[in-house]
Amino acid sequence: MITRRMKPLLGTYVEIAINAENEEQEQLLSTAFEAIEKIHRLLSFQARESELSQLNLAAGIALTMDPLSIRCLRLAFAMMKASRQYFNCTIAGSLVRRGVLPDHGFGNYLEAGNVDDIVISGKRVHLARPVLLVLDGIAKGYAVDHAIKILMAAGIRSGWVNAGGDIRAFGELRVPILLRQGGGAPVYAGDLQNAAVATSSARSELDARYQGLLVNTEGRPIDEGQWTVVARSAWRADALTKVAATAPRDEAEQLVARLGGTLVSKTSGIQAANGESAQIENLNQSQNGC
Amino acid sequence: MRHTPALIMMPVAAFVCQVQAADYLSTAEAQAVLFPQASTFSRQEVVLTKEQLKAIKKASGVRQRKTMPPIWRAEREGEFLGWFYVDDVIGKHEFITYAAAISPEGEVRGIEIMSYRETHGDEVRNQQWRDQFVGKKADAPFKLNEDIINISGATLSCRNITDGVKRLLVLQEMVLKE
Repeated sequence: MITRRMKPLLGTYVEIAINAENEEQEQLLSTAFEAIEKIHRLLSFQARESELSQLNLAAGIALTMDPLSIRCLRLAFAMMKASRQYFNCTIAGSLVRRGVLPDHGFGNYLEAGNVDDIVISGKRVHLARPVLLVLDGIAKGYAVDHAIKILMAAGIRSGWVNAGGDIRAFGELRVPILLRQGGGAPVYAGDLQNAAVATSSARSELDARYQGLLVNTEGRPIDEGQWTVVARSAWRADALTKVAATAPRDEAEQLVARLGGTLVSKTSGIQAANGESAQIENLNQSQNGC
Repeated sequence: MRHTPALIMMPVAAFVCQVQAADYLSTAEAQAVLFPQASTFSRQEVVLTKEQLKAIKKASGVRQRKTMPPIWRAEREGEFLGWFYVDDVIGKHEFITYAAAISPEGEVRGIEIMSYRETHGDEVRNQQWRDQFVGKKADAPFKLNEDIINISGATLSCRNITDGVKRLLVLQEMVLKE
């Protein structure tokens, strides 16, 4: 029996579904939602009191951060490095300057930085230059993975978590996925099994119903488009959509594949994502990944 | 053993647009989830005047559509716990029904989506999707007609819910303050 619940979280709609005959399933669903809420509280750029905002406001002073924050920062750091910075979480300055993200009183800041600006040492983190970090490109997927980790640890064998289109399925279930291109009706694209899918869009105009703006590694808005990536974990699929969006068009597919994902193109549709596991496992081992 | 991740390509069937709803919780279930300690829920009759509707719009920035909003008073053996609301907001194209629990002091205790509707193609109810249940017993993981809506695309903002709750807080302050 599948039990599903949905809550407004992470600025979008989050659905958790578990396949369980378990008396404590309500409690388990609540625990998983609370874990997602915690990641939101820790890593939200919008909230001034989040750990991420405190780091952005710390003016280079090292802060001790929650293990969940540290882990997400480590993943972001590793993805920045591995993607030659096509994934870049130091571009928040450019979004604050454009009014897309709030200014919490940052003073002077750089529009964009590089991987050397993030210094992680054990549980402590500091920023080497006055850059502003935003983890929106990875945290939604990270939250999905974390929720699934909790469900699996509780003995749930299959289910899925969908955080506003960042979807990961685990266990034997094959979960049908629809893709929405632009404003059109979503189209059935295939089934997801033991894998994650994420989509990012760049629009020429900001739309109140959608959030955010995609910028390139220098902090400039990129051309309109939509990128969908399948990978083993949701954080990776999420981050790789940004790599696909910002890398040169002729390199994107290969780069995404090298980093453990499969870029879904309009012409190819969604293909089986086999053959990526070796890459993913390599990255997982070196990064203590999901 | 590690599973190989796979998104399996399916033949795409004829495309028909339709509205599909995922129903998460009934009113009674949402009440039990949001106020697990409550023993009674009594319906609170509220009829909003035109002036009140206007004032709610002005104070919250969002239009209150229903003149008779469904509201329940949650109690545990006479002790007032808070208000339980069922409300609708417009999602991408369709209404999303949600429940909100708000304390007597006007603090949001919890929000649950009760029904989420989306317009999309019909092919999701395809044969392959159903085939995974063939041969399964009564305790098969899915009910055959259960609606699954997993859409990847530009992230839909839940701002409408945030605005809806803001509107409920104003409504409570205005007409339910004791």
